[in-house]
Amino acid sequence: MSVELTPTVEWLPQCYPHEDDGRNDNDGDGYHEHVSVYLVRADDGDVLIDSGSVYHRDEVQESVDAATDTTGLDALVLSHSDYPHAGNVSPLGAASEDVELVASSGSPAQQGLPAARTVSIGDQERICGRRFSFVDPPLADRSHTTWIYDHVDGVLFTADGFGAYHPPEHCEATAADFEDGIPTEAVFEYHRDNLVWLRYVDPGKIRRALDDIFGAYDVTAVAPVHGHPVVGAAIDSYLDGFYDAAERIADEYEVDV
Amino acid sequence: MRTCPPFEVTFIPGTAVVRTMPRQIAEGLYWIYEAGPDRVERFELDRRNPEWYDPDHEVYIPQCAYLLEGEDETLLFDTLSPACTDHVLDVLADLVGDGGLDYLVVSHPDVPHAGNAPAILDAHPAAELVAPGYGNDHELYRLGEATHVTEGDTIDLGDRVVEFHEATFLDAPVSVWMTDRRTDTLFTVDWMGFPHLGGDALRFVDETDRAFDVEQFVEFHSRVLFWYQYVDVETVQREVDALLEKFDPSVVAPSHGLVIREDTTDYVELMKDVPGIVDRRGRVGTLG
Repeated sequence: MSVELTPTVEWLPQCYPHEDDGRNDNDGDGYHEHVSVYLVRADDGDVLIDSGSVYHRDEVQESVDAATDTTGLDALVLSHSDYPHAGNVSPLGAASEDVELVASSGSPAQQGLPAARTVSIGDQERICGRRFSFVDPPLADRSHTTWIYDHVDGVLFTADGFGAYHPPEHCEATAADFEDGIPTEAVFEYHRDNLVWLRYVDPGKIRRALDDIFGAYDVTAVAPVHGHPVVGAAIDSYLDGFYDAAERIADEYEVDV
Repeated sequence: MRTCPPFEVTFIPGTAVVRTMPRQIAEGLYWIYEAGPDRVERFELDRRNPEWYDPDHEVYIPQCAYLLEGEDETLLFDTLSPACTDHVLDVLADLVGDGGLDYLVVSHPDVPHAGNAPAILDAHPAAELVAPGYGNDHELYRLGEATHVTEGDTIDLGDRVVEFHEATFLDAPVSVWMTDRRTDTLFTVDWMGFPHLGGDALRFVDETDRAFDVEQFVEFHSRVLFWYQYVDVETVQREVDALLEKFDPSVVAPSHGLVIREDTTDYVELMKDVPGIVDRRGRVGTLG
């Protein structure tokens, strides 16, 4: 399935069902984590942002086939080479004659992507005729991760940032489907578990970094791999929840000397 | 077990690849090295000209794996990157001989650390795959069926015991550190890495021609632990103190630097300066 976020950007959601581990709010019913990809309808072809996990290989392939009428992709852009983001490069035909592979890496051979066109943070590139900027991501774990800003629809693809866990019934929900916004507890739990370094964070510093990005780019929608897409005014609501979460993660961590 | 081949560095003409034979750090502890690409151009070192840099040399941030040999069994810690698949298979075959590999430990499922796991397990089908017990999405990394280890778990290789630890400074949540009790070596994975000059490949830090400069730590951590720019510096410094209290190792074996075997405490102490410097300057770039 696909969900239209903006006139030319679609969300192709996939979900990973976590086992209860006694740490999260939804324990008892199981809790889920998105491992999604996004399709951009560019003027000169279809561009996929990230490729999903091997765990969802068949489902991702089926979603892409359905979204492209089985004609397949024209380009694949990877936010980084982490397996849940780069697990289906070959099955999607990327790095072949027909599908361009674009990846943020200074040493693509070591990342297992020797045929990729490489980009760096700060670059601006045209892919299938569409202009994308590669943004320094404050919320990331791997060094070579980039956020990707689409200049046509104003979508910011945030890879590991802006995530949230969700209960099984919300797999296809965007932020607009939550009357009171995405639950802060789900934002807290996701970031506590996945961006482990936030236990050391100075919340003021991360707030300033995010303010700089949202000041520099006209963001109409945020498209995370591991969370619900956030469109329009819901972005500010999400950010408020994230800042609370970051402060709580730091407050709850104690160095064990 | 065959004898480790002599220490030898091979520069492959026309490529950026440097391949080396492994080096013995101590009895039964071998250092397997992948140089990766020369970083001079991408890091703009000629323009920036940091104190530790010498324009007459290439600069490498290596990818290291370590083989540990006990009386009964062998264990490989990390796999090198997919750019070096044949190399790591050849080195491994030479080191473990007909006995084969018994344990393959992946510190975390990043491609340069774990990317050769399938090839190594194909070549050594009796080897047990060991992965971090931390994190909650092992199936996304094909680590669901691995043996999961956490703080205090051990593997006895015969007359050598390795112990696993929760990784302190890390990128992936699915991460683990390890110590070798016999040599009091701490394997710090993505922490305490640093660039070195081309002539220093597989040298211990105390064998390099130039004195170590804290800016080498900064060059690496302001890329890999780029988030040091967003932290409360004093909290990170207290964490380093806590690490020293917990480990105070005799040897530090990082995945992305040279092995430190002398004055090790001083080098760990030096890491307390790094977050403050990154905090003031911001990230210098990326790695990977």
